[in-house]
Amino acid sequence: MTRDWWKHLVLILGAIIVLAPFYMMVSYSFKSPGEIDRGEGGFFGRQEMMIDPRCVALRQPGRADIEAARARFVGQDDASVQASLLAETEADCSMRPALFNYSKAFTEAPLVRYLLNGVAVTLSIFLIQSVVALPAAYALAKLNFWGRDAVFGLVLFCLLIPVHAIALPLYIGLAKLGLTNTYAALVVPWTISVFGIFLMRQFFMTVPDDLIDAARMDGMSELAIVWRVMLPTAIPALLAFAIFSVVAHWNDYFWPRIVVTGNRDLFTPPLGLREFKGDGDGSFFGPMMATATVIVTPLIVAFLLAQRRFIDGITLSGMK
Amino acid sequence: MSDLHIASVTKLFGETSVLKGVTLDVKDGEFISLVGPSGCGKSTLLRIIAGLETPTTGTIAIGGADVTQLRAADRNLSMVFQSYALYPHLTVAENIAVPLQMRQMTALQRLPLLGGLLPSARAQAGDIAQAVSHAAQILEIAPLLDRKPGQLSGGQRQRVALGRALVRDPAAFLLDEPLSNLDAKLRVQTRTEIAELHRRLQATFIYVTHDQVEAMTMSDRIAVMMGGEILQCAPPDVIYEDPDDIRVAEFIGSPKINILPVERNGTVLTVFDQVLSAHFSADSPKLMQMGLRPEALRLTQTAPLLTGRVVHLENLGAEIFAQVALDSNGSRVTLRAIPAQRHSLGLGVQVGLSFDLNSVMLFDADGARLRKAEVAATRAAEVA
Repeated sequence: MTRDWWKHLVLILGAIIVLAPFYMMVSYSFKSPGEIDRGEGGFFGRQEMMIDPRCVALRQPGRADIEAARARFVGQDDASVQASLLAETEADCSMRPALFNYSKAFTEAPLVRYLLNGVAVTLSIFLIQSVVALPAAYALAKLNFWGRDAVFGLVLFCLLIPVHAIALPLYIGLAKLGLTNTYAALVVPWTISVFGIFLMRQFFMTVPDDLIDAARMDGMSELAIVWRVMLPTAIPALLAFAIFSVVAHWNDYFWPRIVVTGNRDLFTPPLGLREFKGDGDGSFFGPMMATATVIVTPLIVAFLLAQRRFIDGITLSGMK
Repeated sequence: MSDLHIASVTKLFGETSVLKGVTLDVKDGEFISLVGPSGCGKSTLLRIIAGLETPTTGTIAIGGADVTQLRAADRNLSMVFQSYALYPHLTVAENIAVPLQMRQMTALQRLPLLGGLLPSARAQAGDIAQAVSHAAQILEIAPLLDRKPGQLSGGQRQRVALGRALVRDPAAFLLDEPLSNLDAKLRVQTRTEIAELHRRLQATFIYVTHDQVEAMTMSDRIAVMMGGEILQCAPPDVIYEDPDDIRVAEFIGSPKINILPVERNGTVLTVFDQVLSAHFSADSPKLMQMGLRPEALRLTQTAPLLTGRVVHLENLGAEIFAQVALDSNGSRVTLRAIPAQRHSLGLGVQVGLSFDLNSVMLFDADGARLRKAEVAATRAAEVA
C-alpha cells in the first residue's frame, strides 16, 4: 500500500462524479420508459419487448379496416376482429427498448440534419479561427513591429471578456445586418479566437528563429512561412486548440438558441435535444438520452483519434 | 560574377554598437572565414550579408549590385545554420527541394493537390527531383532521402543542411558555425569535406566560426573580428606569422603566443634587463610588447635570454608544451619542444630559454604592430 492511496481515492471519487451523468445517459438510452420511471433494470435494462403507445394510437383500427379484414377472420363478430387487428398492430409496434429509443431519436427529429449542421458550423468556426489565429500568432511571436506588445496586451485583455457579456450587442449587430437565422450568425461571432491566438503565439515562441531564417533564405514569403513551416510544426498545439474549439461550439446551446429562433433546418445537435422536451404527455427520456448519446459520440471518437495524433505530434518536434 | 562588397557597415542594437564600420571585399570563389570570440559581431555581419538583419549604415553589394534593401529571399544566397534548421515535418528529399520549389515554381504549381495535376508542375518536379538526387550524391546522403530529420544523427543532419544550401546555384554560401554541434572526430572529417566541396564548386564561401583551427585549415583568407571590427583580413599563414595587432596574435595560435615586456633605453633594447640588441636605432616607444610563438622559444644552456622553472607539461605525443614560470617576474611562457628533449624537461626543472630576434614580433603599448622596430632590431643584432 503506498502512502498516496488517498490521492487515488480522491481522484476515483472525482472520476465517478464526472462519469455518473454519462453512465445515466447511456443507460437510459437503452431502457424502456417503465424501467426509467421505476429505476430498475441495471445498465442495459431487461430489453423486454415493449409496445410504442404512440404507434398504436396512430394505427387504431377503424370501421373501414374492420370491413376490409373481415375476409381474413371468417365467422367472427366485429369486436373480435377489432381485437385481432389491435393485436396485430401491437405486434407491429412492439420492439426492444434500445432499438425503440435510437430509432425514435433519428425519426422524431431530423437528427442527421442537426448533426450535419453541427459539423458544418464547428468546422467552419475552427477553420476560420485557424486562418486568423496562425498569422496573427506568428506576427506576435516572431516579427518585430511597432506596438507589438500593446497588441498582445489587447489579446490578453480580450481573454478576460466573458462571452455572455457581449452576447446582446452581438445579437443586435447580427439582427441589424439581417443575419439572424443564418449559418453566418452561428459562425461569424466566433471566428476570431483570442484564446487561439494566445495559445499559438505561446507555441510559436518556442520555434527556433533559425528555422524561420532558413525559410527566408529558401525564398519563402512571410505568409508562406506561416503555412509551410509554422503550421506543420504547430500541429500538436493546433490539435489542442481544436479540441477546445470544437468541443465548445459543438456543445454550445446558448448561442444557437439566441440566433436561431424559428428555422429548424439550422438547428445544431444540442438544440435538437429540445425536441424531446416533455410537453403535456411527459418527457421521452429514452429517446432524449439516445439523442444525447449520438451527439457526444463524435466528440469522444474525435478526441480518441486526436489523442494518438497528439503523441505523434510531440515526437515530431525533435528538431535539433 | 558573385564578388561581395561590404562597405562600412555598422549595426546598433538599441544603444549597443555591435558592428563599428566593417569593410570587406570578397572575391568570386573565395573562402573567407570570419573568426573571433563570441560577441565580436561575426554572426551579425553574416546575417546582414544574408539579409536577415538590416545594417544601421553602410551597404552590401553582390556582383556589383547594391542589395542592402533587398529581402533575404531575393538575394540568391544560401545559408547553413548552426542548428541546421531543417524542416522537421519534411523528409530529407523534401527539405533539399524546398529552395528550388520556392524559386522555380509558381504559387499555383506549389498548391498541394491541384499543383500536382498541372503538366508544367510535373515537369518542374522532375527537374527538382533530379537536382535533389544530384546534391544527395555529392554529399553521400542518397540512402537517407526518405527519412525525417528527427531520425538522423547530427552529422547526417549537417549534410542535409549543406545539401539544401548547394542544391541551387547561389551567389555565395554563408555558413554560421556549421560544425560546432558535431563531435570532435566528425568535425575534423566534415572540415575536410567542406574544404573539398569549396574546391569542387568554386563558389564563394563565407564561414563564421569561433574555432581558429577551422578558420586556419579551410580558408583562403581569415578576417579576425573583435569588438565589432575586422582587425585583420589576410591568408592564414600571414595571420599567424605576421599579425597586425596583438589581439590577432593572441587569438590565433594554440597554445597562445607569449607576450613579454620590452624596454628601450636609448639604443639598448632589453627584456627583463637582458640585452637583446645594443645598437637599436629605430624611432620607437620606450615600452613595447614582444610576441613570441611557443615554437620560437628553444631550450639552451649557454647564455640564455630567459630563465625559469617548468611548472606544467603537456605531452601530445608528437610535441610537448611546457609552461615555464620566469625567474624574473613569475609570468609564464609556453615552450614547444620535440619529444627528444623530453629528458631535459621535468616538473620543477630549471631551464634556460633563448630565441631568434627574427621571430620576435614587436607591438606598442596599445597592441599595434611595430614592423620598423623589428627590422631595426634584427639588423642591429646582425651587426653585433
